[in-house]
Amino acid sequence: MRPILLQGHTRSLTQIKYNREGDLLFSSAKDHVVNVWFSHNGERLGTYNGHIGAVWTVDNITFFNSLSPSTCIAASKLLLSGSADNTAKLWDVRTGKCLHTWEFHTAVKRIAFSEDDTMALAVTEQQMGYQGAVAILKIDSVLETGEQDEPFVINPEPTKAVVAAWGYLNKYLIIGHKDGMISQYDWKTGQKLNSKHPHSDVITDLQMSPDRTYFVTSSKDKSAQLFESNTLNPLKKYVTDCPLISASITPIQDFIIVGGGQDAMQVAGTSRGKFECRFWHKILEEEVGRVKGHFGPINTIAVHPDGKSFSSGGEDGYIRVHHFDEDYFKFTYPEFQHIGA
Amino acid sequence: MPVEITGAPKSSWADEVGEELDLHYEAVTDENGVKTVIEHIINDDGKKVKVTRKIKKTLITERVNKAAAERKKWAKFGEEQGKKPGPDLSTTSVGEQVFLKLSSTGRGVETVEDIEITKKKLLGKKILCRICKGDHFTTKCPYKDTLPPLDELHIQESKEPSTTEPAPVEAPGPGKYVPPSLRGDRKSTGESYKERRDDATIRVTNLSEDTTESDIHELFRHFGSISRVYLARDHQTNMCKGFAFVSFQIRDDAGKALASLNGYGYDNLILRVEWAKSSSSSTS
Repeated sequence: MRPILLQGHTRSLTQIKYNREGDLLFSSAKDHVVNVWFSHNGERLGTYNGHIGAVWTVDNITFFNSLSPSTCIAASKLLLSGSADNTAKLWDVRTGKCLHTWEFHTAVKRIAFSEDDTMALAVTEQQMGYQGAVAILKIDSVLETGEQDEPFVINPEPTKAVVAAWGYLNKYLIIGHKDGMISQYDWKTGQKLNSKHPHSDVITDLQMSPDRTYFVTSSKDKSAQLFESNTLNPLKKYVTDCPLISASITPIQDFIIVGGGQDAMQVAGTSRGKFECRFWHKILEEEVGRVKGHFGPINTIAVHPDGKSFSSGGEDGYIRVHHFDEDYFKFTYPEFQHIGA
Repeated sequence: MPVEITGAPKSSWADEVGEELDLHYEAVTDENGVKTVIEHIINDDGKKVKVTRKIKKTLITERVNKAAAERKKWAKFGEEQGKKPGPDLSTTSVGEQVFLKLSSTGRGVETVEDIEITKKKLLGKKILCRICKGDHFTTKCPYKDTLPPLDELHIQESKEPSTTEPAPVEAPGPGKYVPPSLRGDRKSTGESYKERRDDATIRVTNLSEDTTESDIHELFRHFGSISRVYLARDHQTNMCKGFAFVSFQIRDDAGKALASLNGYGYDNLILRVEWAKSSSSSTS
């Protein structure tokens, strides 16, 4: 396959995300700008300018027509971004106009729309004496009145939150911690419901399965793991030989794509940094293939919702959009061939 | 004089001097659907230039979501404002071909060294699959049902006493070439990495046109982990040219593959497998 190279950022990528249909690809980078691309040909549709710090995170609305019709902005056209300038911004996807800005005391490291898109979570950094927190933002009331309520804040214990996601039907939040712990929080009361400590180092990414019943985490402890959302029971573990920064679940084929690489400081002495997207079999916990290309660690991986392509964003400032060859869809395990026959 | 648009120019060369030359072209479509257009044009220096273009048209119908189709009409904004539709070369380019070879070889991270260590351990225990010569019991061989004719080949060569076949062919007789990997006196350890890489490559010829890389993978991966497959393809038709190179990580595996698959009937053709000629080594 021939990847499409997107060179819209001048600094390293922090997060990429497909929209629900997968035709748009949003990317955030440390160069203060959020870009949006057409995923099928790599054409840049536009940029969202306004942040004055590195943009750490981006999320597009996932659900259709869930907002009340009184809002003048049609649903499915909203974008959230979180930045090191201590703000989170809500954008109109079509025009690039900033609709609202939330101000925080510290940088916003991770942002995510809830499943019905009426709320969003924002993970803020532990800095300058402020505790790391997860804030719940009300999107619908902001759009209707133009004014924000004081966001409800959860302070995860014992170490700060680095990544977070909504459980299915917004039942709870799943939070990944700095020390490798994962926990479940009630977002209405701020109470911890459950926690496990499966990783030995910071959790770098947490991505939900399409139905949100299970999720995958990646960690600097060189492993990625699959968990059941309700119980946080570990399901599968994928152990690699380099620190992982992102992990994503693929539809169609039962794979997990993980990416990462050694830090720039450590890679200097060695010949190669292992900057490859690795494909692992989700069930057999076995590596099945690799895709090369990046010149630096892979910071973020996203899979197209239809499972026919995936993209990776690297420390090298490039996004690589890969459309799978036909061989990919034909692949079956020799052990499984008798099931298909 | 009217200009002939299509068909081979029949006029003599003397008639070709003039402005009509600009329009002279011929188009031929061959059986592969490749259209060849030959044009004679006069370039900026006033010289006559023949331009040959080969075009292959494929119509691909794509279905997209209604909302996604609507979004394709959106005007560009931000830094892209006012730019014309279509990918901009300054931000979008096509990268070099990359390959994703999916295979179930190896659990987790396994280096060549690891494989060799396990193989050494198993040497004393004499666990040898009669089907694929792998280091497992025959009953557990995953390729038991995939290639029945291959089984027979292996049984003939296998040194298992339990086979019903008459006296198996031992080492080839004197005078016949024996690849270094099959000579008992030589150990694969201690060789430099480069040597090992060069030595573990075999050439497969007499492949059929329809063969793909994954077919080759399928056929050869029984013998050991494959580091690279190169299949020669025709530039125009993208069909197999009839030969391929297969590099194994371990030379012994390549030797096994060579011994078993040389003369093997595949896709109605008899395969010929031999050591790839290398510039550094004289094995061929």
